[in-house]
Amino acid sequence: MTSPSEGQEVEAVSAKGAVTPTAPLNVLLIDEDPDRARQVEEGLVANAVVHTATQIHGRVLLDLIARISPDVIIMDCNSPDRDTIESLRLVAQSNPKPIVMFVEEEGGGGMQEAIDAGVSAYVIDGLTPKRVQPLINTAIARFRHMDGLRNELKKTKDDLAARKVIERAKGMLMQHHGMTEEQAFSSIRTMSQQQGKPIKEVAENILTIVGMLAGNPAPDTI
Amino acid sequence: MAHSLTLGFAQLTDCAPLAVAKERGAFAAHGLDVTLKRFVSWAAMRDALGTGAIDGAHMLSPMVVASAAGIGPFPGEFTTAFTLNLNGNAITVSTGLYEVMAQMAPETVSRRPLSAYALKRVIDHRKEDGKAALTFAHVYPHSMHALELRYWLAAAGIDPMRDLNLVVVPPSLMVDALAAGQIDGYCVGEPWNNAAVVAGIGRTLITSGEIWSNGPEKVLGVRQDWAEQNKEWHLKLIAALSETCAWLDDMDNRLTAAQIISTPDYVNAPFDEVVGSLTGKNRQTGGELRIDMPDFNVFHRYAANFPWRSHAKWILSQMIRWGEAPDDVDANAIAKLAFRPDIYCEAVEPLGIACPSSDEKVEGAHPHTWLLSDATEPVAMGADQFMDQRIFDPTNIDGYISGFSIRDQRSRLGALDTSQITHLAK
Repeated sequence: MTSPSEGQEVEAVSAKGAVTPTAPLNVLLIDEDPDRARQVEEGLVANAVVHTATQIHGRVLLDLIARISPDVIIMDCNSPDRDTIESLRLVAQSNPKPIVMFVEEEGGGGMQEAIDAGVSAYVIDGLTPKRVQPLINTAIARFRHMDGLRNELKKTKDDLAARKVIERAKGMLMQHHGMTEEQAFSSIRTMSQQQGKPIKEVAENILTIVGMLAGNPAPDTI
Repeated sequence: MAHSLTLGFAQLTDCAPLAVAKERGAFAAHGLDVTLKRFVSWAAMRDALGTGAIDGAHMLSPMVVASAAGIGPFPGEFTTAFTLNLNGNAITVSTGLYEVMAQMAPETVSRRPLSAYALKRVIDHRKEDGKAALTFAHVYPHSMHALELRYWLAAAGIDPMRDLNLVVVPPSLMVDALAAGQIDGYCVGEPWNNAAVVAGIGRTLITSGEIWSNGPEKVLGVRQDWAEQNKEWHLKLIAALSETCAWLDDMDNRLTAAQIISTPDYVNAPFDEVVGSLTGKNRQTGGELRIDMPDFNVFHRYAANFPWRSHAKWILSQMIRWGEAPDDVDANAIAKLAFRPDIYCEAVEPLGIACPSSDEKVEGAHPHTWLLSDATEPVAMGADQFMDQRIFDPTNIDGYISGFSIRDQRSRLGALDTSQITHLAK
């Protein structure tokens, strides 16, 4: 069970108002428990459009998500549909959705660790309609924060990879075309501008082409 | 005073080692008071294990490998020292799709094992006619089901990322989804293939043992830190499961096992549905054939419980193939973290069970049973061949992956831009 103090902590985060959606929130509620679904709907109805999915699974559920494009998905942590929703996150890495999960069982406190470990979920226990909206706002805020960190990490990694490729392309031009480092870089930059392509892409092409002209097979990976 | 442990399991035939060990007192005999907790979602079981809500789990073998490779939640936190079973899955399509396959490519449908070439013909025709792509389902992104289904499709030239839709559907809902026409086929464990066949809505085309003979299916997943801090209990748990798996492999005991797991606490399905999937008797494969497949589920023989690192590496090779793991992962380090044959041997050697001396072997080299002499005692091993006769050398994963023409191309160079050749040739 999540202790009351943890619950308060949760609400305190949302009170900072990290998320103030202007348009009504588009919520998908996946729940086989009609009583709980009604509570969530009551708590959200003032600010959100709630789509409730019961007895909908697999492909039909994915189609529904594609159609309504929810801002947030709310579901039971022990729903059989969890694996389907996980697959959605894997496939649609570019467009992940925050997911709020309900835990109503002992040992639920441990779920907080799951969230800290990177499970993109938010856990609510002891649900009342009044608590639903702020908790969902918190979930979205938390999600955007995590998502931002992930994007930042990805960008850093991509930048590093791009730099490596550009260095190698410069090296190729220097070796095979007798350019100085400066000439090599300015040649890559000129091509990038002329073709309207990112420098990294130009560098990748150079690696392939110079390799081919030099009689080497195209490099397998960049 | 018995030591209390909680293990998670899924509602599938191959929960038998856990269910039987509990019901027949094998855990108790090793001083363990085990509570079994049923889960309806793999993600929920994974989170329960990761957060310590349970001590061990009836886990998909690729889930442990994914964790070791740093993919998804709880990176590097899971490991296994015990493979619970080999084989046990199958691919089933709707009766309607099977009929179209048989009509369009009767010669390939009559061959065994049944390849996906007939399906490829159907897909090509649908493309020409402008019809929607077919949809196939499996049970979890990191599962043998997902890997086996894609292996079978790609072996016939079907690109699972372009030529059809792949979706995740919970096992118990597969048959309903097939009946409702929401999906055209699936790869799942039992009793969910048999159920579609019995209901007359599906045909089982191929079993996982025909795609890769004796590949690892479920494992006993635990946390790395738990394994370190609870070594004594881990060893006892493995000993109890090893004895139970040996009992389960005696075909005379499978009827008793079917009675145990069909009860509401476990698979909660009629005995008649469960028994066939456990005994391997009267199984459908090839779309129409019904035969006895004694190796449909292997629980102990063929050194089944030994966690081969070459199994972990094959799983990893397929994750790289489909773009789920980066190309530059350290396969040795991951296999070492994920599969722990050292712990397994420490647990079973006192029981007089033979242990292979090497942690890995070449996979795919044995079309028939063979004798493994490189072990504490010679072990009769099962076939380990792949349906397309490829050989997997665990020391050359890159070479193996580059041999597949159908694979994820995301990390590779895109199409050549020829305009730059002229520019550079100046």
